[in-house]
Amino acid sequence: MITAGCDVGSLTSKAVVLKGNRILGSAVIRSRTRPEAAARQVFDEALAAAGIEEADVACCLGTGYGMKKIPFVSGTKSEIACHAAGARFLAPSAMTVIDIGGQDCKATRMDKEGNVERFLANDKCAAGTGRFLEVMAKILDVTLDELGALSKKARAPVTLASTCTVWAQADVIQYLNSGETVQDVGAGVNNAMAARVATLANSVGMAPDVCMTGGVAKNQGVVRALEKLLSIRIVIPRKADPQLAGAIGAAILARKAAEGKGA
Amino acid sequence: MNDILVTAATRVGNPAVDEWKAEGKGIIGHVCSHVPEEIITAAGLFPYRLRGIETQSTSIGDTYFGPFICSCPKAILENAGRGKYSFLDGAIMVQACDSMRRLDECWRKAGEDYPGIVPPFFHYMGVPHKVTDYAIDWFVEELEKFAAALEAQFGGKVTSEALAEAVSLHNETRRLLIRLEEMRAMDNPPLSGEEAMTLILAGTAMPKSVYNPLLAEELDAVSGRDGGHGGKIRILLAGSVVDDLAMFRTIEAEGAVVVADTVCFGSRDYDGLVEEENPSFKSLARRYLNEQFCPRMFGYYQKRLDVLKKKIADANVDGVILQNIRFCDLHGSENGLFERDLEAMGIPCLRVEREYGPLGDEGRVRMRVSAFLERIAQAA
Repeated sequence: MITAGCDVGSLTSKAVVLKGNRILGSAVIRSRTRPEAAARQVFDEALAAAGIEEADVACCLGTGYGMKKIPFVSGTKSEIACHAAGARFLAPSAMTVIDIGGQDCKATRMDKEGNVERFLANDKCAAGTGRFLEVMAKILDVTLDELGALSKKARAPVTLASTCTVWAQADVIQYLNSGETVQDVGAGVNNAMAARVATLANSVGMAPDVCMTGGVAKNQGVVRALEKLLSIRIVIPRKADPQLAGAIGAAILARKAAEGKGA
Repeated sequence: MNDILVTAATRVGNPAVDEWKAEGKGIIGHVCSHVPEEIITAAGLFPYRLRGIETQSTSIGDTYFGPFICSCPKAILENAGRGKYSFLDGAIMVQACDSMRRLDECWRKAGEDYPGIVPPFFHYMGVPHKVTDYAIDWFVEELEKFAAALEAQFGGKVTSEALAEAVSLHNETRRLLIRLEEMRAMDNPPLSGEEAMTLILAGTAMPKSVYNPLLAEELDAVSGRDGGHGGKIRILLAGSVVDDLAMFRTIEAEGAVVVADTVCFGSRDYDGLVEEENPSFKSLARRYLNEQFCPRMFGYYQKRLDVLKKKIADANVDGVILQNIRFCDLHGSENGLFERDLEAMGIPCLRVEREYGPLGDEGRVRMRVSAFLERIAQAA
């Protein structure tokens, strides 16, 4: 059976086409002003990558902030449930998922069956989200990929005093003006991000293994800093792009729904 | 539902306010469920609970309060600053919580820049945070001062007879609202949480003498009706002020039904009657300090947890949403304790921090509520 998941997030939209446990095709695009247009585009790209027609898809579920606006899905599921299902697919030993998306950050604890036991999401603030890193990367004049690598090259990472993205931005500019290296400031940014996320992960009551999903899972600087803060090894999915976890989860839940097992 | 009730629940002004004013009678605004409205009614005035509904921004509120304060009093000041409360003949301020206490000084200060926004009668009253003999005595003194100030300003006399009549009228409101609560607790409630809250909110913006018969009529009309809410996930809403319908709408749009609450403006205002035999300021003081669910009262966590547990059991609740307005220290910290204790008993809880009602961030709240309902459904 072929199923699909479409995750329309605040920053990026993702779609995955799944056959059994094999990803046939996927796509990630920048979200557009209209969620329905972003969903259509990313779904079409994923179908093209899979080399199949929309009619071949037995069931497609939507998730993410734009989920209610996706016209072609047969149902929706929250990001919490989808990231949990996606993480379990990508890392079968995962009991806790830390998902850092564009505008929020969530820590979810699962039971053995992969059901959501408890979850916590950040408050209405950009601290600890993908947006925070995006703002900082722009000031440091590096790409998001390069930002993660800066931590490795840092000698004495700076400390960002403020939790607020805007004030932290002022801190970063101040450090750069005082002659601190981009590496040390970049590492400071990654550490600050990890510190915000650690609070959430501790509050949810982590159970090993801890898996990280979402675009920020690709930032090695944040992942290493988080491992240090939580004194725990974090599993990063290798099977597929961790940014796709939500869409993968939606496709898995779509399969369950189509098989009549509920989702 | 009667249009007057809907308007009173959702708008700052309403026909009951207009009619009362047309009769040349006074309206007193207040900000807390610890203000004994009976005294205002006994003085021949109409107690009106102030809200920040209809605000589009808090530009005036932010100017006087600063950034790190609950947005509820800011939105009330915004309405005052924009002249929406020009129908008030008076207002009573209390130190409900620290944010609400500041409304007293911020409103006075804003009055220097926006002439005419401070009502002619503007009274500050102390409300104890503990229930001891001396606290009750002190509260009685505060109530006496308040009554005397109303008499001096408006000429009416708060006689024993007038007080007894007011107590009986307000208790009647409470009895009707308790009947509404019992209906909500049914297996297939005849009304949604949003409809129930509409009825409850209307009573805070209407004279009780006008409200009670309309409410009784509505309850009779819906009694026995199939509300179509059987089988839905049953939610209890707890925490900070909820004085508009958006939160209920968001929760119920995800397929749940709100069957009970302990929020300010909700059940907190009608739990517990005032003694009707020879009522006095002391009986008012006892009811308003003892029968309250607000964490502003220090040292009563266990009692509040017990009330919550009882409501959960009575309404057969599946999950509890513990919300608080951003920067609300009282509810923010108590919600953490409730979550710990209720989860330990196997009752699923969701903690949400949000902006005050009309400034609400629906998308963010909806995602959390939807995931919470999925969690409950999965466990079922």
